[in-house]
Amino acid sequence: MSNSHLFLKSGFPRAPLQNGLGRYVCQLQRITLKFCKNNGSSKGMRDFIENHLVDFAKENPGIVVYVKPRRHRTPVLVGEYLNGDREWLSCRNSTQEEITKWVDLLRTQNGSSSSLRLRKMWHTDVPSIQGPWTPFLLRSPEAHGQEYPSVEASKPLDAPQTATEKLIELFRQQKQLGDEDVLSQKRAE
Amino acid sequence: MSIAKRVQQWATFARTWHIYDCTWQNPFESAALVKTHLMGLHKPIYHPMNDCGDHVVLINTKEIALPGDEWIKRVYFHHTGYPGGASWTLAWQLHEKDPTMVMKKAVYNSMHGNLQRRHTMQRLHLFSGDSVPDEILQNVTNQIRTPRTVPQRLDHIDKETLENFPTIMDYPKDYILR
Repeated sequence: MSNSHLFLKSGFPRAPLQNGLGRYVCQLQRITLKFCKNNGSSKGMRDFIENHLVDFAKENPGIVVYVKPRRHRTPVLVGEYLNGDREWLSCRNSTQEEITKWVDLLRTQNGSSSSLRLRKMWHTDVPSIQGPWTPFLLRSPEAHGQEYPSVEASKPLDAPQTATEKLIELFRQQKQLGDEDVLSQKRAE
Repeated sequence: MSIAKRVQQWATFARTWHIYDCTWQNPFESAALVKTHLMGLHKPIYHPMNDCGDHVVLINTKEIALPGDEWIKRVYFHHTGYPGGASWTLAWQLHEKDPTMVMKKAVYNSMHGNLQRRHTMQRLHLFSGDSVPDEILQNVTNQIRTPRTVPQRLDHIDKETLENFPTIMDYPKDYILR
């Protein structure tokens, strides 16, 4: 991320005040369409204003629509939102269909989408059914109430058996058989 | 935040205390192990921006074992900042002066030099012997397993075990034991 993003807000996508649950409040408050009356780059914007703008305003009585002609300048869409965000969009050389789509995007989003860096590409309200991890998760029951430091808890788990341990184990096995005569036989040999 | 959620938060971010016995351990091998616990790298919730490091108590640091001839070859550099203030100390000399220093520097050097390193080091508690103050010891809930086994010394084995130790062969009758 470069320095130009230092003051970029970051967060997770969320609906303000549980918008859409029970009631829906359109978050776009004001839309300004700036265009030129005779420049070719404003052709699509002029077409949109002629054909769709009145219908758009009638369908969305909650949105204030400003139309601002200005000479020899690029056509621009500016949306202002309930949370104070302001989104500026250049519509230079855009067609009428493209502008319809952009206006629809401005109308349906919560705030300016370009002024928020998503901290993560995923989000969940229910992170885990098992519950969050704690340091006490999956601890062996023997660890409870154990005295530290202890020699046993310090030993590595994957240590191979030493020759001495092997010898003692062999000796125990012989003892368990209890065959004294085997030993005496060996001695006789 | 409800009471249950608050307690859940405390449990997840609880600082645990670990103890590590340095007897006969390579300090540089141990440092990598201790570092992960100090920084909280062993936790699934680890993130460089969340403060989830644990406390580690190192005991018996005077019993560490440096590999090869590092006691005489490893040199610790210090400069006072004044002209002619440079000094080079061999590892065995440093260990004589302060038996916790070699271990401390091993852990310190195993971490990246950033602003967090000094604060992470504050969570490391070093003791040259095995006597630890009670208020520290009663926090400890886990022991870090050492990478190497500690062999038992012959003079530390009790007499009964020695006498009952299995003999591989019997001496001949005419064999003279000196």
